[in-house]
Amino acid sequence: MEISLRNINLTLRKNPILQDVSMCVPSGEFVSILGKSGAGKSTLLSVISGLLLQDSGEVYFDGECVDAVPTHKRDVSVVFQDARLFPNMNVLDNVAFPLKMRGVRTPERRERARAMLAEVQLQGLEQRRTHELSGGQRQRVALARALVCRPHAVLLDEPFSGLDEEVRDDMRDLVLKLHERHDTTIVMVTHDGFEALRMSDQIAYLSGGRIIQVGKPADLLIHPATPEVVASFGQTKAFEGVVCDGEFTYGKLRIAAPGVEGPAILVHTESGATEVLPLDGASAARATGGKSTQAAADNVAQANAKE
Amino acid sequence: MSARKNSGARWARVLVVLQIACVALPLSIIAVWAFTDSWPWPNLLPESFSLRGMQTIVRGGDATGLGCLLLSVEISVVCAVLTTAVAILAARAICFHRWVGRTAFEYLTMLPFLIPTTVFAMGVQVAFIRLHLAYTAFGVVLAHAIVALPYAVAIMTETTCGAGQAREQAARTLGASGLRAFWHVSLPTITPGILSSLCMSFIISFSQYFLTLLIGGGKVRTFALILFPYLSGGDRTIAGAYALVFLATTLLVFVAFRVILRKTGGSTEETALYGEA
Repeated sequence: MEISLRNINLTLRKNPILQDVSMCVPSGEFVSILGKSGAGKSTLLSVISGLLLQDSGEVYFDGECVDAVPTHKRDVSVVFQDARLFPNMNVLDNVAFPLKMRGVRTPERRERARAMLAEVQLQGLEQRRTHELSGGQRQRVALARALVCRPHAVLLDEPFSGLDEEVRDDMRDLVLKLHERHDTTIVMVTHDGFEALRMSDQIAYLSGGRIIQVGKPADLLIHPATPEVVASFGQTKAFEGVVCDGEFTYGKLRIAAPGVEGPAILVHTESGATEVLPLDGASAARATGGKSTQAAADNVAQANAKE
Repeated sequence: MSARKNSGARWARVLVVLQIACVALPLSIIAVWAFTDSWPWPNLLPESFSLRGMQTIVRGGDATGLGCLLLSVEISVVCAVLTTAVAILAARAICFHRWVGRTAFEYLTMLPFLIPTTVFAMGVQVAFIRLHLAYTAFGVVLAHAIVALPYAVAIMTETTCGAGQAREQAARTLGASGLRAFWHVSLPTITPGILSSLCMSFIISFSQYFLTLLIGGGKVRTFALILFPYLSGGDRTIAGAYALVFLATTLLVFVAFRVILRKTGGSTEETALYGEA
């Protein structure tokens, strides 16, 4: 399902939260809305889902305006940062809830819920109460619950915040796998630039309620529109990926890397410079001085600073 | 550290036992009086026992016995349900919506706390006579509900604001209409508050004397109306019997509320409801 926003404006308690926001999320794509805290990202998700009504502008699903359609009929699930599982239900009933609301009979909805739990690797936990789950398990249940009814789109509101780094990596991989498998349109809100780079087909940068830049991850990384976009990618970082046919690949991030082939690292410095370095034996040793990927990034950053 | 913990636990147990004793001992005296025929001072134990007190209640019929008890329970249950329903709606308006006059509304719900029952009763009696509600059971229910409302609103506001609207919003994004989201998600979450509100409203209504006397005009004879003259009179056996039945009825109704709420999908285990982040 394609999601289209046209000139969305929203003011809350006399503060303009969204100002003339227009963007398009093509059907089946994974789009991240990136920006600092308070930029209006979560509010934008609330407008798409219908939890908040905009003051002006329109929301379109597959070319049809849905402003008059209530939230529960928009067929757009949301995964919140705090999971928002229902404590009066066990895990299975939580996941089966959307099917129950759509009138699916008990045996079928329980079977589909079980299958969905298996997809998120939580088989065996069906009878657990929600307060007995870890943070990562709660988010998996929330994901399963959002996807079980095959919605037209899924909105993720900073779903990995509050999880530790290792669990976050697992969750990102899981979300990407589920996206591939179900081919659902996904809009994710995040303040983590690298998370957006890795997972998204497109990134929209939001600042002060306005869209500053929209484009492929490589566009925002290599040709940022403003210093704020540069800053969203934070300190010098390095990613290990692969160069095939002259293109460096890291998740969904694709950057041209002529002259390099095979395993490589992409180094992005604080000043916005990027460099792709091969990870084969000799050149890796030259580039890294025999040190770790992060150390290699630091070397490049220092070299650039001297230049 | 372990010795300190054990000492703390021991003192906590002592305090609990003392508290239970403060409640249980006077109640046990009432229970003994309910079956006592003669207990002259300064005897430590009754001289003789009888079932005279219980027989008075059983044989009293609608006027003074089990019929009267049934009417009292009906009035108080209806009052409790009505008050709690109004309190749930008021709490949602206070917690989830911003509107002009919200703060004033919140204070207005507490007005019955500030106005003495006798003053309120005399004022509402005049209004009820005009509305043809005086001397009727429904009029008594309404009057009791007004007096119980501040307690119910206070309880439900705390519970509703604590539970928040987040899960209800999540339910709406998963295909539940507003009403279904409330029924399946919010209502079970606020069940502990509902139980407290029902019990508090019930006991306030069940023990009302002056208000029932004035609004009911003697035609609506509740159990409290029958009990109070015996308490101030000299027959402790009958007073004890009525008091015992009063207590037992209250406890039974509380248990019934709890069972009904559990059966409708609510959980009264607060740790299960509020344990997660």
